[in-house]
Amino acid sequence: MHSIIKISIFLSFLFGMELEIGSSMPKRKLVLNDVDGRSISLSDIKGKEGTLVIFSCNTCPWVLRWEDRYLDIAKRYIPNGVSMIAVNSNVARFQGDDSMEEMKKHAKKMNYNFIYAQDTDAELASAFGATKTPHVYLFDKSDKLVYRGSIDDNARDAKKVEEPFLENALDALLANKIIKKTTSKALGCSIKFN
Amino acid sequence: MKKIIFFLLPLFLFNSCGKIDLFPATSLDIINEIKNYKGEKVVLLNIWALWCVPCVEEFPMIVELGRKNKDLEVIFVSADFEDEFEQVKKFLIRAGVEPYSFIKKQKDEAFIEGINPSWTGSLPFVVVFSKNSGSIVDSWEGKEPESRFEVAINIALNS
Repeated sequence: MHSIIKISIFLSFLFGMELEIGSSMPKRKLVLNDVDGRSISLSDIKGKEGTLVIFSCNTCPWVLRWEDRYLDIAKRYIPNGVSMIAVNSNVARFQGDDSMEEMKKHAKKMNYNFIYAQDTDAELASAFGATKTPHVYLFDKSDKLVYRGSIDDNARDAKKVEEPFLENALDALLANKIIKKTTSKALGCSIKFN
Repeated sequence: MKKIIFFLLPLFLFNSCGKIDLFPATSLDIINEIKNYKGEKVVLLNIWALWCVPCVEEFPMIVELGRKNKDLEVIFVSADFEDEFEQVKKFLIRAGVEPYSFIKKQKDEAFIEGINPSWTGSLPFVVVFSKNSGSIVDSWEGKEPESRFEVAINIALNS
């Protein structure tokens, strides 16, 4: 019995190891399949100024509440050289709500203006230490992690946001300034690894 | 608990028409509630939400653990949005939680850090506190089998 808890604690520790600020982008060559039928890697889509990776899914209420901001961020920052990808790592639901077919429908319905791809074996999420959706990782043009955490401080209402953490980080990155808040936390749905 | 009731007395009275009283609480309120059981009971803190499928799936098992173990106090904290207050109450009543429970009333980051800095914010989140010292014996994010709960509770009973 004690071995079960030791293994569980170890796994918790392992999955709790979020990528540290300053770390190099892991698994950049890992192949992901996107909703447009392409096989891509983070290396393929690397932005001139940076790369934004958001672990996401189709049904998490927190994703649905924040999704309007996905679109705004893509519209505002992709033209400025930041590539953006939402990654679905919910392996346990790939036969259901998070199947590629459902992802295609979701991206179309929500007018996604960024890449939406499936992380087949949740390898990318594991390497990043991502635990929930949405879980945001921003890399600079050298593929170093410069911001990690949440989009802002108000999932419910974009108009009531007091601290737009991700936008502040993106603005600082593009202006070549120091990012004052490099990490943040928010509640989210657990990634369904298996 | 006495402190919380004192500060939230108006709300307590307002909501007392149901079978359960649901207190909006900050992380500090929750930590203070946990401290009340130091030296008396093991505390199992479970942070959950209606929209969180794994939370709802394991909920009856956790309620039952509390029922069958007199040395265990289970504290549920809902992380649902405030506009889901009534739905949360209905769910708790159906699940047999009584006589009171909690719902988060704080911004996410402050709440997460206040509860446990090692928590990334993923739900469900469980922390088990020892009976005697009140220190954390185990904590985890995500759904886990009953066996893990039982092992952690047994360790907490003897530490």
